[in-house]
Amino acid sequence: MKGRAELEALRAALGARAVRAHTPIEVDGVALGVTVAPADADSLSAALQALSQRRLAAVVRGGGTRLGFGNPPRRADVLLSTERLTGIDVLDAEDGVAQVWAGTPVAALREATRARGWELALDPPGEGSTLGGTLASAATGPRSLGFGPPRDSVLGLSVVLASGTRTRCGGRVVKNVTGYDLAKLYTGSFGTLGVISRAWLRLRPRPERELVLRAPARGLAKTLERGVAWARRPGVRALAIVDAELAARVDPGSRGAEEGLVLIELAGDAPVVERDAERLARELRAEATSERALERVREVQGSTPRPSGMRVRVSALASRLAAALEPLARVGAQLLVYPGQGLVYGFVPLASANDAAAARAALRESARAGDGTGCIEDAPSWAKHGDDVFGASGPELALMRSIKRRFDPEGVLNPGRFAGGL
Amino acid sequence: MHAGTAGLVDALRAAVGRDACLCRPEELFVYECDGLTMHTGRPAAVVLPSDTAAVQRAVRTCRDFGVPFVPRGAGTGLSGGALAPDGGVVIECSRMNRVLELDPANRIAVVQPGVVNADLSKAAAPHGLYYAPDPSSQQACTIGGNVAENSGGPHTLKYGTTTNHVLALELVLPDGERARLGTRAGPAAGYDLVGAVVGSEGTLGIVTEVTVRLEALPEHVETLLLIFRDVVSACRTVGDVIRSGLTPSALEIVDQRTVAAIEDSVYAAGLPRDAGAVLIVELDGPALALGPQVERIREMARSRGATRVDVARDDAERARFWRARKGAFGAMGRLAPDLYVHDAVVPRTRLPEVLEAVCAIGDRYGLKLSNVFHAGDGNLHPNISFDRRDPDELERVVAAGEEILRVCVEAGGVITGEHGIGTEKRDYMGLLFDDADLDAMRRLRDAFNPDGACNPGKIIPTPRFCAESNPKARGYERVPFE
Ligand SMILES: Cc1cc2nc3c(=O)[nH]c(=O)nc-3n(C[C@H](O)[C@H](O)[C@H](O)COP(=O)(O)OP(=O)(O)OC[C@H]3O[C@@H](n4cnc5c(N)ncnc54)[C@H](O)[C@@H]3O)c2cc1C
Repeated sequence: MKGRAELEALRAALGARAVRAHTPIEVDGVALGVTVAPADADSLSAALQALSQRRLAAVVRGGGTRLGFGNPPRRADVLLSTERLTGIDVLDAEDGVAQVWAGTPVAALREATRARGWELALDPPGEGSTLGGTLASAATGPRSLGFGPPRDSVLGLSVVLASGTRTRCGGRVVKNVTGYDLAKLYTGSFGTLGVISRAWLRLRPRPERELVLRAPARGLAKTLERGVAWARRPGVRALAIVDAELAARVDPGSRGAEEGLVLIELAGDAPVVERDAERLARELRAEATSERALERVREVQGSTPRPSGMRVRVSALASRLAAALEPLARVGAQLLVYPGQGLVYGFVPLASANDAAAARAALRESARAGDGTGCIEDAPSWAKHGDDVFGASGPELALMRSIKRRFDPEGVLNPGRFAGGL
Repeated sequence: MHAGTAGLVDALRAAVGRDACLCRPEELFVYECDGLTMHTGRPAAVVLPSDTAAVQRAVRTCRDFGVPFVPRGAGTGLSGGALAPDGGVVIECSRMNRVLELDPANRIAVVQPGVVNADLSKAAAPHGLYYAPDPSSQQACTIGGNVAENSGGPHTLKYGTTTNHVLALELVLPDGERARLGTRAGPAAGYDLVGAVVGSEGTLGIVTEVTVRLEALPEHVETLLLIFRDVVSACRTVGDVIRSGLTPSALEIVDQRTVAAIEDSVYAAGLPRDAGAVLIVELDGPALALGPQVERIREMARSRGATRVDVARDDAERARFWRARKGAFGAMGRLAPDLYVHDAVVPRTRLPEVLEAVCAIGDRYGLKLSNVFHAGDGNLHPNISFDRRDPDELERVVAAGEEILRVCVEAGGVITGEHGIGTEKRDYMGLLFDDADLDAMRRLRDAFNPDGACNPGKIIPTPRFCAESNPKARGYERVPFE
C-alpha cells in the first residue's frame, strides 16, 4: 500500500468494514498490510473500480492455501479477499446443479451437496480451500481421476473484470455452446483476468458404495505400469502411489510398505466394488483401509517439507512416468504419483541455494523426460530464484499476453504472478 | 475488392496449387450454405489445402488481398458457422484427412482436422479404443468442425462433449502464424487456450492438427427401448433416472410426431404408430452392474406408465432401436424440401412443460414441428419441416424459432447446446448476455483475431453503432476502460 492517504481513500469509497489494515502478510517477498474484503458482487465491483482508478494492484485471495503458488508479484498493494462472498444460492437436488459464491469453503460445500444426495466433483488439497480459489488455480486432488479437472464441474461463472465490470458466462445447464467458452479461460487463470464471484456447478451422483484399499508397492517405478492399468478401470475414483517415507504418513499402521504404498478408492455399484476389491486383493495384495488414508494423501499433496523445502508437480505421459520420476528421486525428493492423471508430486527438502538449484534442474529434466510440463507449487522466494515457477512458456505466450492486456490493461489483478509473468 | 478478385484466384492457386482451388460458379454453389439452408453467402473461391503450410499460405494470400476467410470441414454445421462472407475465401480442410498418430499406450490420437469423426473411431478400434463424442452426423462431419462447434452426441451425457476430449491443438492464427496450444500430457502453462478455442466456431484461427484422448471400448452395453403414452411421462422417467444417481451413457427421446414420420419412411424401426414417445436408454460398464441397472430403469419406466420396455438382445436389435433415433432427421427431411434443426437447452427438470410450450408454438404458427432430443442433457432439438421457397412459411419458421428460444431462456436454459451460434443465433445472444458479457467475449476474439478477418459476422452481434463493412470498426471495443 502506498500510504495512509490511499488507505483512507479506499475506506471512503468502500466502507470501513470492507477495508482492513493488519500485520503484513508476505506474498513472495512482498508484505501486504491491507485486505479489501467486499461483502457482495456490487461491492467487489466497486473495489476493483477503486483499485484500477488508483492504479493499485491486488493479490486475489480465497482461502490462502495456494498463495505461495506463483511468481513474485510485479506489483502488489492490497490483498483482495473473497472471504465475505460466501453461501450457496441454489442447490438443485432434482437437477444436480448448484450456484455457489466463490468464497464458500469447499469442505462446507462438499458436506452440503452430500447431504442432498450429490457429490461435489472437486477435491483440492488444503483445509480452508475456497471454491473460487480452487477454480482459479484449477486445483485437483487424488479424486480428479474420477472427477476430472475443475473445469469439468463449471457450468457458468460470474466474473468481475479488473475495471469493475460485472460479467457472466456459461449458464446453469449441463450442455451449452452459447458463445465463447470464457469459463475455460477463467478457470486456472490464477485470478489474472477477473475475480470469480459466483459459479454454477455440475454435481455428480453419489456412488452406492465407496471403498479405500491399500496395497504394498514393490518400488515406485515397478508399480507404475500396474497403477496405470488399474487407474483406467471404470469405478476406480482415485489411485495414488507413494514412496516408503510418505507411506508412513499416509497410512501409519500399514505393514509391508517398505517399498511404498498404493492407495485405491473404488466407487460405484456395490457388486462391482466388491468384485474389484477381490481382484485387487488377488493381484496387488490389497486390503481395505479407512477413507482417512486418502485424506492424508491429499494433505501430503498440499504440503511442503519443513523447515524449508520445495513442492513440485510434473504432468507426464503415462508411458513416461517412470522416466519422469528419476531426476526427482536423484535430488532426494519424496514422491507421490497419480498414475491415472499422469501426475507426479515431488517434495524436496532444501538446506541451501545449491539444493534449490538442483531441485529446479531436476524439475526441468523430469518434465522433459515425461514429455510434459512441470511447475513449482510452493517454495520460499529465495528458492524460486527468478525461474518461472510455471515452467518455460512457448510462443503462445504472446497470445496469452494479448488476452491479459485486453482483460486487465492496467495490470490490477495479480500482475506478474502467473506463467510468463502474465 | 472485386477488381482484385481475378488476381486473388491466381494468387490462391499459387499458394495451394491449381487443383486445390475452386472458383467456377458451379463449383462454388455447394459452398453457399452449410446444413442450415436458409442462410447463404457467396465466396469468391474455395481452397483445399493439404497441409498446415498450405493453410498458412492461403491465409497470408487472403490477408494480402484484404479478403476475409472462413475455415470449413464437411459443411454439416447447423448454424451457418462455415458460411462464407460474400467475396471471401473458404478454406476447406477435407484434404487434411490423415490420422497422424495412434498412441494406444497413452490412449491418444493425433489427427488432421479433415478426418471424419467415425473414421477416427474405426482407426482406433483395433486397439480396443474409440473416440467418444459421437454427433449424429458422425459419418460425415470432421474433427475440425467438431472442435470448432464443441460438438456433442447421444453419448455426451456420460462422456462429455468435444472439449472434454481435446488435449492439444495446432492452429493457424488469423495473421498466418502457427501456434501450438496445450500438450499431449495435459494443459500447458498459462491460460487454457485449448479450452477457449474449442467451441470458438472457426473465429480464432484454423485448426490444423488435433490431439485427442481416446476411451476404452466399454466392457458391456445394454440398450432399452421404452414406449410411453405421452412425452411428459418419458421426460419424467428421465428425471427419475438422473435423480436416482444412475449415469446412463445415453437418454434420448423421440416424440410421437417423429415416430409417425419414421414409420412412414425407409427408416421404419417397427415402432407402434400410436406411441406417445419413445425413450432410448443406453448403459455401459461392467456386465455385473448393468443387470441390476436395467431392472431399476424398468421399474422407473413402469411406475411412469411405460406401455412397453424392450431390452436389446443382440447388436442387431440394438441397431434397430437406434434406427428409431438416428433415422429421425432423414425421415423428417422427407416431409418437406427443408428441415430446420433447432437446438436449445433447458434444465432437465423443466423438459415436460417446455416441450409442451414448444409444440404449442409450432401449432400456433401452423408448422410441421417434431422433437428428437438428448433428454438426459436437457438438450432439445425441435425440428421444423418447411419449404424455404415459400416466404411466408420461412417467416413463420424464423418467428417460431425465436419464440422457442425465449421459452427456453425463461426456463433457465440457453440458446444452443451443440450446434453453435454461427450466423443463425448471433442476434439472439442478447437473450442471454448483456453488453458487458458480450464485450468480454469480444476481448477474447480480438486477442486472436483483432481485425475480424477470420470468419467474420459469427457469434457476437455487431455493436449497434459500428458498420458491418468496416473491419476496423469490428475490432472496436465498445466499453472502454476508465
Ligand atoms: C444430420 C445431422 C445431424 C447432426 N447431429 C449432431 C449432433 O448430434 N451433435 C452435434 O453437436 N452436432 C450435430 N450436427 C451438426 C454438425 O454436424 C456439427 O456441428 C459438426 O461438428 C460440424 O462439422 P463439419 O465438419 O461439418 O463442420 P462445418 O459445418 O464445415 O463447420 C462448422 C464450423 O466449424 C468451423 N471449422 C471447420 N473446420 C475448422 C477448422 N479446421 N478449424 C477451425 N474451424 C473450423 C467452421 O468455420 C464452422 O464455424 C448434425 C448435423 C447434421 C446435418
